Amino acid sequence: MLEAPFDPVKLAIPFFILAILLEIGLGRLRLASAEYEARDTAASLAMGLLRGIPALLTAGLIFAATVWVWEHRVLTVPFDAWWGWVAIFFLDDLIYYVFHRLSHERRFWWAAHVNHHSSQHYNLSTALRQTWTGGLAGTWLLWLPLAFLGFSPAQIAIQQGISLVYQFWIHTEAVGRMPAWFEAVFNTPSHHRVHHARNPRYLDRNYAGILIIWDKMFGTFQAELDEEKPRYGLIRNLGSFNILTVAFHEWIAIGRDLASARSLREVGGYLFGPPAWSPDGSRDTSKSLRARWAARQSAGATPAE
Amino acid sequence: MTEGQPAPRPPSSFRGVRLDAIDIVPDSCTSQEPAIPIPAFLSQLAVSGVAVLVIVALAAAARLARSTPPLDEAAARALLADDFPDAQIDQVWLAADGAAALALSGSQALYLFRLGDAWVARDLAWSDVASAPVRGGRLHLPLSDVSPRLARPALAGWAPETA
Repeated sequence: MLEAPFDPVKLAIPFFILAILLEIGLGRLRLASAEYEARDTAASLAMGLLRGIPALLTAGLIFAATVWVWEHRVLTVPFDAWWGWVAIFFLDDLIYYVFHRLSHERRFWWAAHVNHHSSQHYNLSTALRQTWTGGLAGTWLLWLPLAFLGFSPAQIAIQQGISLVYQFWIHTEAVGRMPAWFEAVFNTPSHHRVHHARNPRYLDRNYAGILIIWDKMFGTFQAELDEEKPRYGLIRNLGSFNILTVAFHEWIAIGRDLASARSLREVGGYLFGPPAWSPDGSRDTSKSLRARWAARQSAGATPAE
Repeated sequence: MTEGQPAPRPPSSFRGVRLDAIDIVPDSCTSQEPAIPIPAFLSQLAVSGVAVLVIVALAAAARLARSTPPLDEAAARALLADDFPDAQIDQVWLAADGAAALALSGSQALYLFRLGDAWVARDLAWSDVASAPVRGGRLHLPLSDVSPRLARPALAGWAPETA
């Protein structure tokens, strides 16, 4: 099967709308924690609403590439086999972890992903602040091995949709912590608040999609700490609600840096180094911020002599 | 097997997984419908757009924004400390409306301004700030970022030469 018989994301849109309205209502009644700023919300929702337009530019290419790889598959995983869905659930989630980590740790892909983190709010509307340039960044290539293994393009698309729908509900402060067993296995609002935080302690942590186990396996897990409330947004927050700025600001910054590059090393660093990489190390990367935070912690913990 | 009929293709397998190819003609090629039904896409977009407007209106009416009272010096220092925890702040100038602050930190300037119900911070060289023009009572600060590229705070008591 090539085309998915249904799109989980489309089916979930009414749920998205109702859930946001519920979160606003609970916040208004002070029954749950929810902070909304109208222009921030408008920017987030507009990013989600209009993402389908730029996606049209690359949808055909992605579909054709996936079909081509699938035509050269080594196995055929039947669409209706339960074990196929179990397998793709885990494989897709592992690929999502890799994609997400790459999208934070290398600037070219960060440029496509940064808009999702550009709100200083963390509510359900933030979940819909989706990328416009993900297709151009080419991270969809990471999913092609699934087609090569024998998962049909439809099955891959459905599983990606299920993952996206799952990740909607974790963008909230209205939910504190889930039961311990759930927190141990699944990505949750608590884990994902850490991911969206810009506190140095929380930077580049919790890349999970559905299962938090990958972060625990690969050493990128950080629990949310009661004594350190997450501060959301970017290391250098955006100074605008303009959705074109939200969508393209990092690409513009890359272009400006490339224009000033004096060597191939600098070109490579600006494109594929960590976000905020600079030739002289004068800009703060996540790594340098974490290192300075750790140094301050050590200094604070050392008894005065 | 009936003679004259093509022999059915024997299903091959690999460890129990069927390897025979299945029909790879795209579903979209078997009907006259366009692959991307543009009118349906546009109508979905329009309906979703209305939903977005309703949500934004409700979010505004619910008054769930954070409280961001006008800055005083202590608040400005605390907010700047979040973004620049290692910075030693020597002097602070506040905007007359309390929506921005400029601080001197060694050879650096730290600039803070309100955006909606949040604060945004930037750092730049103090020499750029000291030489920035003042027009109509507003300092024209050249920020190096994509957005904003220029800030125009009306700072109370702004006199860089005294810093």
